[in-house]
Amino acid sequence: MLKCKDLVALSSDLLDGELTLKQRIAVRMHLAMCVHCRRFIRQLRVSQRVIRQLPDQQAPELETLLRAMQAQQQRASEPDQGDSSK
Amino acid sequence: MPNEQDLIQRLLKGEQAAYRELVQQYQGAMRAVAIAIVGTASADEVVQDSWLAVVRNLNGFAGRASLKTWLLTITANTAKSRLRKQRREVLLDDITGPHGTIDDARFAADGHWAQAPSLWHTDSPEALLNEQALRDCLEHTLATLSELQRSVLMLRERQALELPDICNLLDISHSNVRVLLHRARLSVFATLEHFEETGEC
Repeated sequence: MLKCKDLVALSSDLLDGELTLKQRIAVRMHLAMCVHCRRFIRQLRVSQRVIRQLPDQQAPELETLLRAMQAQQQRASEPDQGDSSK
Repeated sequence: MPNEQDLIQRLLKGEQAAYRELVQQYQGAMRAVAIAIVGTASADEVVQDSWLAVVRNLNGFAGRASLKTWLLTITANTAKSRLRKQRREVLLDDITGPHGTIDDARFAADGHWAQAPSLWHTDSPEALLNEQALRDCLEHTLATLSELQRSVLMLRERQALELPDICNLLDISHSNVRVLLHRARLSVFATLEHFEETGEC
């Protein structure tokens, strides 16, 4: 029989669909009987969605980067000047 | 993907709005890959170099892989060539977030919960994220995870990459990815649980 502690150890694999058939059955049976583990899995899924929806904090220097990319792109599209020094 | 093809055509024409779209859409994923390989300090430089490589090689993008896979592969290669020898040996570091994790202390000797998870006031991510203090708290937790744990979590949850793709990009085994992901998720869970119980970080 799967214990609560075992279920927690398998929880991430459960979220990712990484369980074997045998494990899936054991997990399902355990969850059918254990209210605490049902809550744990439900809230683990909530925390998964929280991370997905957490707003991005870092604001990279978008404008500087775009300028550098533009310059690179212009260099690439210029006709070959026969510059072999590089 | 029709949208992707359309975007690539616009990029090839040199449309600046298309570049902006591209960067905004993929910068986060590229940064997560870079951080996982070279660490936070050099990640932004790697991402910038990768974008320049993307611009240089756009003509050669044959569409065999998805655009995202192509961009992340360039990022991983740029990061790895910078890294050279100093591959960090801390793959399975045991770092947990500031609010701990769901570890043995939560279970009785028979393997059942000794301290069961508390019930959160809502199951809605939107409602939880309404609170600035919780958002800051989660950022703090993410910042204290190891760079590899954080990157694996970001690539999986925010970029929705499949586990084999994460393994390939970061050169780590499938089982290591699973372990890192599991630890990161439990740390995030512990932070949410702590915040729900105490109302503070």
